Amino acid sequence: MTRQASPTAGVDGSPMFELPSELAIDTDVARRVIAEFIRGQLRQAGFERAVLGLSGGIDSALVAYLVAEAIGPERLRCVLMPAGSSSPASRADAETVVEALGCASEIVEIGGLVDAFFGAGEMPGASGPEGLAASPLRRGNFAARMRMAVLYDRSVTWGGLVVGTGNKTEALIGYTTLFGDSACAFNPIGDLYKTQVRQVAAAIGVPEVVIRKAPSADLWPGQTDEAEAGFSYPELDRLLFWRIDKRRSVEEVVGLGFDPAFVARVDRMVATSEFKRQVPPIAKLGPRTAGVDYLYPRRRPGSARG
Amino acid sequence: MQPLRIALAQVAPRLGDLEANVARHHELLDQARVGGADLVVFPELGLTGYQLQDLAAEVAMRLDDPRLSRLAAATAGLSAVVSFVEESGDHRLFIAAALLEDGELRHVHRKLYLPTYGLFDERRFFSPGDVLRAAPSRLGVGVGLAVCEDFWHVSTPQVLALDGAQILINVSSSPGRDLATTSEVGLGTATSWRTLMRTYAQLTTSFVVFCNRVGVDESISFWGGSEVIGPAGAAIFSAPLFDEGLFFADVDLAEVRRERIALPLLRDERPELVSREWRRLIAERAGLARDSTAEEGAEDGLDVAAEPGEGRPIGFRAGPGSPSPGSAPPVSSRAAGPATRRKAGAA
Repeated sequence: MTRQASPTAGVDGSPMFELPSELAIDTDVARRVIAEFIRGQLRQAGFERAVLGLSGGIDSALVAYLVAEAIGPERLRCVLMPAGSSSPASRADAETVVEALGCASEIVEIGGLVDAFFGAGEMPGASGPEGLAASPLRRGNFAARMRMAVLYDRSVTWGGLVVGTGNKTEALIGYTTLFGDSACAFNPIGDLYKTQVRQVAAAIGVPEVVIRKAPSADLWPGQTDEAEAGFSYPELDRLLFWRIDKRRSVEEVVGLGFDPAFVARVDRMVATSEFKRQVPPIAKLGPRTAGVDYLYPRRRPGSARG
Repeated sequence: MQPLRIALAQVAPRLGDLEANVARHHELLDQARVGGADLVVFPELGLTGYQLQDLAAEVAMRLDDPRLSRLAAATAGLSAVVSFVEESGDHRLFIAAALLEDGELRHVHRKLYLPTYGLFDERRFFSPGDVLRAAPSRLGVGVGLAVCEDFWHVSTPQVLALDGAQILINVSSSPGRDLATTSEVGLGTATSWRTLMRTYAQLTTSFVVFCNRVGVDESISFWGGSEVIGPAGAAIFSAPLFDEGLFFADVDLAEVRRERIALPLLRDERPELVSREWRRLIAERAGLARDSTAEEGAEDGLDVAAEPGEGRPIGFRAGPGSPSPGSAPPVSSRAAGPATRRKAGAA
């Protein structure tokens, strides 16, 4: 017997997203595993609360729902951190999620922190006059790291662990900011491709407007991930699934119908971003080195705070 | 009727916290006794947690450890299977499962197959066991213990059954993975295990008792789904996935006799044949005998000939009276040049 995939249909009956069949997952099992994972991570660390950055996009919205499902919305704090470039719609969508969940929230404007470094108008910031010409990418990376800094501060004031909101697709192609959006205490959705995030989001009740809108890093008005990268998430997810999860060779995925140039480009993105997915190497000098031959579970007796 | 009540302790051990896990075992042994259980089964490394890494040496117990003796002492009138890190006298560490009965430690099984691939890294931290034996039991039949990966090797249940086990007990810490919707229960791992256990129960015409843990160690979640399978290969009891609990299942041990009379597979096993062929395989792999499936020209102990060429006959050794495979013309010896070689059956 094959279980049915979660429905992709929205309220009006039309599909909210495209779901390639090989990426269909059992969302009930996924939610169950993730809820236990979230509770286990918090318990083992000696925390009862969680905090996350809520952008208005589907990834952080889903994580907010998952955390609320696992530990209750009263133990979750969502921090909305718009920068100057963020669209007002993103903020409205984030507020919709907060209202639906009934969790604690606050808004921290990041724009001032970014401007303080790069400067604003004709007034240079801490970066010096050169900073005024910083590209949207530099400013976006800086904003992502400011958000990380805010979340880790709120981790202390709220007394909660920072929950990661990055998905597997963006991690594999390196569409993340090192020590920025990828920084967290644990990540419940880091092994779900974008199309699988959409399935779980639909199953758990993330607002349809959030599920339907085009994914965006929100670095400049009208930016979308797919327009910037030049391929769609279902297409990219399928390729990553066959290349990585199912270990198919380049020749084999081309045989499955993928364009060779697309395969080469994605392979290169995966290889060049390997450093973003790993702990930085330590020069091996002593008899026991963390991560090399000093290998302890992250959480073990005595590791919980307080 | 030979009724037997089995209690499956589908617990979530605390990683590295031996004292807490020992206490939990005592609690559940008491509950199982109150519930009328004859046999209580705890999961793999239920006393220590699974993802130990360098903690393994810190939670290891010798077989004379007083904590084990006290657990054994709590089994008056009961059989129990518990699992822990065992340290031998020469300081090797094993993943062990022990049969405790009537206050004594009766049998120890050391995990034979240590998965060191994918998400597993067991061989780095543990030593594999070298003994596979069924054990007599107060239950009136032989029991066979195995730990998780041991059941991914078909000889394990077969040897245990031939050695007299009528109840095969597998204790596991199986990490759940693969949520593809094509899977029967929404979890690829669970579907694979269920296939194995039903197959083994039928092929060995024995009861299979599977106790898998729940809970989370680091990144990995364990899926539970403990089961009791009857000797005809049908599930008698299936515990829920992911829920912690003590689950009871009632079986009739007389099922084994009925099934073995009706389907005498074990009677018809050919251990001497299997043993003979395995001795041959061992000799071939060790380079002590010609490998019957190696490429022609391959050095003894290897199966590929080093000399580049179009492809060589496989499974063909020219010699007096030996037939050639397919319709390929005879290729006389390893002295023959590449030009005379072709793919088996290609001519």
